[in-house]
Amino acid sequence: MDSSNDEMQLQKAKSVVPLNTWILISNLKLAYNITRRPDGTFNRHLAEFLDRKVGANISPVDGVSTMDVNIDRIAGVWVRIFVPVSSQSDETREEKIPVFLYFHGGSFVHSSANSAIYDAVCRSFAKLCSAVVVSVNFRRSPEHRYPVAYEDGFTVLKWIQLQALTGLGNAWLPSNADLSHCYLIGDSSGANIVHHVGVTAATADLSPVCIRGHILMMPMFGGMKRTPAEIRLDGQYFVTLKDRDYYWQSFLPDGADRDHPACNIFGPYSEDLSNVPLPPSLVMIADLDLLQDWQMEYVQGMRDSGKKIELVVLEHATVGFFIFPNTEHFHRVIDAISSFIRTPI
Amino acid sequence: MDQMLDVLCSHDKHHKDGDGHSVAAVDHGSIASRPAKNQLHEAGSNGAPSSTLGKEMTAVNVGVDELLANAGYKVRASELQQVAQRLEHLETVLGAAQEAALSHLSTEAVHYNPSDLASWIECMLEELAPNFPVDSLPHLHSFDQSAQVSGCLMDDPQACGRQNQQSHQEDDAHSNIVDYSEEFILDYEETQYGSGFNDHNLNGIFGNICSLEQLGRKREAGMKQGFELNAQGMHQREQKRGKHSITQPCAYSGSSQEAYSQTSDNPVVFSSVYGSNQASLRPMGSCIHQPTLLQDGSDGAQESGVRLVHLLLACAESVQRDDLIAAEELVRDIRVLAAPQKGPMRRVATEFVEALARRIYSFNSQDTIGNQRDSLSELLHFHFYETCPYLKFAHFTANQAILEAFENQKQVHVIDFNLMHGLQWPALIQALALRPEGPPFLRITGIGPPQPGGNDVLQEIGVKLAQLAKSVNVEFDFRGVIAAKLDDVKPWMLQVSQGEAVAVNSIMQLHRLLYSENSATPPPIVEVLQSVKSLNPRIVTIVEHEAIHNSPIFLERFTEALHYYSTMFDSLEACNLPAQSLELMLAETYLGREICNIVACEGAERVERHEPLAQWQMRMCNSGFQPLHLGSNAFKQARMLLTLFSGEGYAVEETGGCLTLGWQSRPLLAASAWRC
Repeated sequence: MDSSNDEMQLQKAKSVVPLNTWILISNLKLAYNITRRPDGTFNRHLAEFLDRKVGANISPVDGVSTMDVNIDRIAGVWVRIFVPVSSQSDETREEKIPVFLYFHGGSFVHSSANSAIYDAVCRSFAKLCSAVVVSVNFRRSPEHRYPVAYEDGFTVLKWIQLQALTGLGNAWLPSNADLSHCYLIGDSSGANIVHHVGVTAATADLSPVCIRGHILMMPMFGGMKRTPAEIRLDGQYFVTLKDRDYYWQSFLPDGADRDHPACNIFGPYSEDLSNVPLPPSLVMIADLDLLQDWQMEYVQGMRDSGKKIELVVLEHATVGFFIFPNTEHFHRVIDAISSFIRTPI
Repeated sequence: MDQMLDVLCSHDKHHKDGDGHSVAAVDHGSIASRPAKNQLHEAGSNGAPSSTLGKEMTAVNVGVDELLANAGYKVRASELQQVAQRLEHLETVLGAAQEAALSHLSTEAVHYNPSDLASWIECMLEELAPNFPVDSLPHLHSFDQSAQVSGCLMDDPQACGRQNQQSHQEDDAHSNIVDYSEEFILDYEETQYGSGFNDHNLNGIFGNICSLEQLGRKREAGMKQGFELNAQGMHQREQKRGKHSITQPCAYSGSSQEAYSQTSDNPVVFSSVYGSNQASLRPMGSCIHQPTLLQDGSDGAQESGVRLVHLLLACAESVQRDDLIAAEELVRDIRVLAAPQKGPMRRVATEFVEALARRIYSFNSQDTIGNQRDSLSELLHFHFYETCPYLKFAHFTANQAILEAFENQKQVHVIDFNLMHGLQWPALIQALALRPEGPPFLRITGIGPPQPGGNDVLQEIGVKLAQLAKSVNVEFDFRGVIAAKLDDVKPWMLQVSQGEAVAVNSIMQLHRLLYSENSATPPPIVEVLQSVKSLNPRIVTIVEHEAIHNSPIFLERFTEALHYYSTMFDSLEACNLPAQSLELMLAETYLGREICNIVACEGAERVERHEPLAQWQMRMCNSGFQPLHLGSNAFKQARMLLTLFSGEGYAVEETGGCLTLGWQSRPLLAASAWRC
């Protein structure tokens, strides 16, 4: 691409998002680009160096307190628990509140539960949706490929179950956390993890934990064919097909292509979900996301399998619409989630 | 039990400050948490921005974009437009240059402090400048430049420039040692270290550093063309590495006994200087952060573990209230409960309950706990060094920074605030020996306490270091300075010569200087930092515990320490020491002494006054020092070395130009570098 074309691209994105959001996402994109070496290997050291991290803090900051708990020390799987506290006193609220199991994005490769952006996102959700958020630090590719991230997610669910069954739950989860109202929630690759963990969870015995819904924000799906949106929006709003292909290649098993069922849910190797008792899903799609056709296929496929899907399409939204609370998209997200978790099944 | 917890709870309310209002603090959660049990809102008022530290940091960060700050980036709100422009420009340059540029930024370039976005972007542009068209857009200044405030958590624009120069020094083997993704590291271990590597052999450690350096240089030579990496780059890298796989013995090998048995005719100028002092002291303010408590979710003994924590806190709370009867009872209960426990929980509980017992019964002994500097404590220190990566990390990181600071200097002088066994220096001597421009004339001045029986331990260490230096052809000179306290050491005793580059190295010593008797007299740290400044050092390397163990309120201090050392003890598990082995016991005893000092001692006896990085940064800035950022190469090296020396779970993080080593998500040790 010649540079004037480049500049036009950059101008386009700039006109759609606030300046600080643009800086954040562009910077992340840049950082990601330089960690993916041209020879295909991944520079994990540089990636971790560049990732801004933040510690947990039991003292409430803006109404939310956080703490980290080990799940599997050797594997490096831990969770950060976000608890909203009442502004009246520092006691946690009396009424029962739902539990969100959050899977952060990063295309299976980047970020952690203690990444500053995801700490900020989870804090927002905990406070504004009045939920206990459990953000999972799962293992990432390329070091740990499919299905490790899914397994780690399910491990955390089992761990929460164990806490509840042995009465140890109150050590780590606040007493007003309602495990019978649990939601799996994630963005991008995290939303992909939500689906797969949800499928496993649907046929497992997790009581007293009960998953009432899935919340998928800009879920990362794909396949071998190139969809119109991918072609139309390639490189337009922060995301390129090239980088999407790279991340699939580093996540999926050796020799697999993007029609692997982890990636292409309703593709040639799809599993029949009609008899899997999945709870309702809330799917949020940005209409400037080049993956939107895959996301719509997912929605359609789920409906065809008899699953309840609430679809929200955010107009003029790019990827990352949920990160900074400085657009109407963000508030739409909060509203959609809040009403979704209050909807009786 | 519930009553006690209720008391805890109400006591907490008294201390707690409530929610912080949302401000653009650089990090609203600098250190992390503890069990979020309702009843367990411990005293430990604020990590929130409403704390003293938070307010100061806020003042310093005035005008930053709040949302970006929450995401970990410091960008002035007024500069968003320019930052965006520069970012765009960088993207364009990268787009035009494609692979070669990306490869350069990924592989060759050294990155510093990604939080200062403006300066990071400029550094990247400068990296690309020699090979790509120079732009005409105005350059961004590093975050601090336009600020009138005496901000301390800011970059120094000159430092950025200097760091930039460093990264251009392609001949510097030390800055870009090896660049392998994690998949390569395993390979590397196998080929390089094989069976020769023995963790308990001092030479093994330093031998490996030697290898890394050598390998880095050879790879460096191969990478001079830098931009020619292509799809075959990986194959080429492997080939090169294979060719130069390290079987070359390092300059010295065999047991330490052998190496040091040679007589040296290298002139070792040695003198002992005794200092005397009058301590001048002032109480320091404290700042409360909340540490992480990483409880092992899978441990079967969890329930009683949780009870133990409750009891310990209840006991400390009783001590705080001066209810020594209740405290005594609790001590008995805790001992009973702790006995059948397994794992780190038991040992932590034991150390803490014994420390509490000491405090309650007020054992007065001349040997103030944790303050001894005798041969036992040296032994413990040595074993701790061997078993855990903390001290190794401290030494490696400091050495890396010192090496970089000494580039092109022909006469260098390292002043070590606590020589101990001199474990840090063989690696530096080796690295200096391998410099492309040849080794400098190296002087080391080691400071140490007087030994009972009058043995001159410093001299012994000095002789060994001299032997080593001779064997690698580094002109060397050692001087020992015996002093009971650092403030006894006056600058003239260090005999810094005109024209030599000075590095001052302090590994976990500065926190001992924070006590002062009354508010009229400043604590020794003030004088010591002034003395350091007067030496005009090129670099000051500081490593300290990343903890808040200096609160005047006992309960706060106790709670912080409980969480910190729980994490520490937990991390010992990953060192793969057999349970109940001598090594493990010694490591735990070492930590136990620190715990005892924090919990049982007060006043001048309490020397383990750990304070977190943010506070050291403020203190250094206020004393007139500028930060020297530790970059991505030091970061990478630290991570790689961790892989070599310890198990899973350790985490190195970069934060505002400094590096921390921690266990999982909790930083435990922080390394920073400074200059005048």
